[in-house]
Amino acid sequence: MQMNKIELKGLNNDKNFQNMGKEREKIIHKSSSKPIVTEYKANALAKKLHPEEQYVKVEKIIKENDDVKTFVLVPDKSENTNSLAYFQAGQYITIIVEIDGGIYRRPYTLSCSPKHALNHEYMITIKRVRGGIISNYFLDEVQEGFSFKISAPLGNFCYSTIRDCKHVLALASGRGIIPFLSMAEAIYDGNLKCNLTILYKAKTKDDLLFREKLDDIICKMENVNVVYVLSEEDDNEFLSGDIDEDLIRQYSTEETSYFVSGSPDFYSHINEVLKNLDIPKKFVRHDLFKGEIELKSNEEYLLTVISDEREYSLKCHGKETLLQAIEKSGIDIKSGCHVGVCGLCRSKLISGKVKTIDENLRAIDKSYNYIHPCITYPESDVILKLPN
Amino acid sequence: MTKYDAIFIGANNSNLIAALRLAKNGYKVLMLEKNHIPGGCSTSFIRGRFEFDASLQELYEYGSTEEPGLLYKLFQSLDLNDQIRFADIPNAFHVYVSSNHENYKLPFGLRNFIDKMEEYVSDSRESLEKFFQLGLECRNALKYIGKHKANTRYEVLLSDYPHFMKIANLSVSTVLNAINMPRKAQEILAANWSYFGSPIDTLSFVQFSSTFYSYIARGTKIPRKTSFEISLVLAENIVDNGGYIKYLSTVEEILFENDKVSGVKLSNGDIYEAPYIICGVSPNEVYGKMIPSKYIPKNALKLTNSRVLGGRGFAIYLGLNQSAKEIGLNDYSYIITNTLDSRKEYEKMGTTNVEHFRVSVINNANIAASPKNTCIMQFSTFFTNDCFMKLANPSNYYELKEQIANRLITLFEDMTGIIIKPFIEEIEISSPETFARYTNQPEGTIYGFKATGLDNLLPRMINEENEQFIDNLKFNSGFGTYLSSYATTYLTGNELAMNILASREGVDANE
Repeated sequence: MQMNKIELKGLNNDKNFQNMGKEREKIIHKSSSKPIVTEYKANALAKKLHPEEQYVKVEKIIKENDDVKTFVLVPDKSENTNSLAYFQAGQYITIIVEIDGGIYRRPYTLSCSPKHALNHEYMITIKRVRGGIISNYFLDEVQEGFSFKISAPLGNFCYSTIRDCKHVLALASGRGIIPFLSMAEAIYDGNLKCNLTILYKAKTKDDLLFREKLDDIICKMENVNVVYVLSEEDDNEFLSGDIDEDLIRQYSTEETSYFVSGSPDFYSHINEVLKNLDIPKKFVRHDLFKGEIELKSNEEYLLTVISDEREYSLKCHGKETLLQAIEKSGIDIKSGCHVGVCGLCRSKLISGKVKTIDENLRAIDKSYNYIHPCITYPESDVILKLPN
Repeated sequence: MTKYDAIFIGANNSNLIAALRLAKNGYKVLMLEKNHIPGGCSTSFIRGRFEFDASLQELYEYGSTEEPGLLYKLFQSLDLNDQIRFADIPNAFHVYVSSNHENYKLPFGLRNFIDKMEEYVSDSRESLEKFFQLGLECRNALKYIGKHKANTRYEVLLSDYPHFMKIANLSVSTVLNAINMPRKAQEILAANWSYFGSPIDTLSFVQFSSTFYSYIARGTKIPRKTSFEISLVLAENIVDNGGYIKYLSTVEEILFENDKVSGVKLSNGDIYEAPYIICGVSPNEVYGKMIPSKYIPKNALKLTNSRVLGGRGFAIYLGLNQSAKEIGLNDYSYIITNTLDSRKEYEKMGTTNVEHFRVSVINNANIAASPKNTCIMQFSTFFTNDCFMKLANPSNYYELKEQIANRLITLFEDMTGIIIKPFIEEIEISSPETFARYTNQPEGTIYGFKATGLDNLLPRMINEENEQFIDNLKFNSGFGTYLSSYATTYLTGNELAMNILASREGVDANE
């Protein structure tokens, strides 16, 4: 480009530049020297909605059946938690439990509507898992008055007015009903605006959770409906069999979003059914679930964990995730969903062969051998570097 | 107790570059980051089968091997260019004006850009040529001043950069008027003013024209694996060069010994020592919370109190279940605006009824940005004040975000005639709350301090050395001298590290 003299109409002062620094100093000089105000509205709201941690006390325990209990949690004021973070129906909290020298975190979907949080109360519902360290601890040991540290609400299994259809067909099995109880209650509270039909499958009548609460909402709300399906019991009041193509077709409207929550078997069954019905991905949303993985190794491997500039030597069995071994050892590793979605446990694989079903790694993370220990199993001795 | 040569608070763009530069020169560096990954805003996140960039829409100043920009040269000097893959942005921008249903589509390349503008506004050619000539002169003048800072010699400026001296403190609109640019051409040219965060009656001409020159001449790029690709590559290189990055670590206090900075204390009580403390966090946070008041000079408080926070971010990320082509999204960079009057639009950004925003269709630069037959759209705008926070509370927060997002998506559809809602498979929305939470920046600002009047680029540059209040305590982020864009934060970090190296070696960092 040619450098020509450019006429700048009316702009003849070339002292501007010289004065800039002094003028700036003058303005600063006139300004206040009082302490900096650090109360910011957006940051204050962030602390309320997403506190780094919350401390709660078990206020009440409700026995749902022999193997399921609901725990009502309230703020533990002795730990300076005075209110609980608001959440969206379908979200979970991670509860931290120390047992026998291990530090464990487990995600539990909140089994109440978001309005409860405003009234300083959360509910989580825990089902006994055979051999499960945490579920058995909760069902057998935890009493009213116990205190816990929990995370802020997390998770994206939530309704969006922009993305999802007005009609939601919820497909649930067993404990999978929890997020939909929360959604149904949120509709009742006026905090969620959609039409909700729940197809709820359980083995027997006695296995159905929250029937009273759900039936109560159905009576009061025209836009909430629940259809119970029993797979191992015949009862005239209920449908029997499975949630199949016909049933889903029957309860689908022209525009329906499908929300799925239940056991791993239930997911693979429903995925198959929805595939047969040609439902595009856009209309199908899953709660947290672990994909199937075939584990062959029956060996125990050496897991070397590098954290905080120290090295720890652990044992990890081929059928155990790296995270499980780390939790058991008492190393405090942050984690959330335990199915490779939230990304909190992301760590670097320094060496070793592993097996994983991870679909949620960032593209560049893959290039640098980052993994999610919560869904990764060893196939040789492994060296792993934690984030801190 | 391990001692370090420099401690970095936050793994943000500027700090990552500075730490790498120092580590490569044998410095023992420690980086403390409160999140579990590096990058601050330069990050990505996954929803379903989509990986979204949290903030980058296009990277200025990179250029290419043939025509290297400032960033290319910087990355080259750190041996990074073969570690990061970039994709070219195809066109400059396509602006849609909703009040009169006009639209203008502008290409990259100085000649093409000027030709296209002449088509839209006859008799604008001459003024555009002048504009780009001034832009180039401003770039060169900035280079000179950046090198000499407080020792800048006015005689040199007057003889080598005579036009620059006449316009140094003036706004975009003042100078465009002075070169007789037709009003319409001014408005189209400056349609992407919101990239800079200020309307053109306030935006510094020097800043705008110098950036715009490189923008049109060299084009822009995005990393193929999102901005997190740059962040992670930088972090990995720091570690490879002996640096230590500790994530999930929040610095609570900056420590002093014999009236000099000596280290930091973390929220868990751990203490780390170093003679240099480099802050990726805002001066507000540092002076407001992290330093005992007896160590804070009065002028540091005065300066910080005199400044105003820049725009608070609002962004929408959409994963669509059709390809961009099938949907009819043919451009990479859309600007949707009610009018071309930047002052008017800026005022509206003081309410949640904002009607000016930018939309990027990532796959139109990088086809592999998402799975086959899908595409990613990224909407962004900002609020000039607390308007969002005045309306938001915990129980209406999620609904409020969706309302605003829905309005912007509808506006996009109405303006372009391209229907996108039926294809939305994934959506995420970031508000000032999100940015405040993730980056900890005050009010969720993504522009650092507002660049206006005597807090514009040039006055910041000239007084930079005078405003170094506490020895060896440095600020290194979008709150710094060169403002908050991706390119400038990387360049800021490099300059800071070079100055530290120079003070050790007693040589001029810029030689």
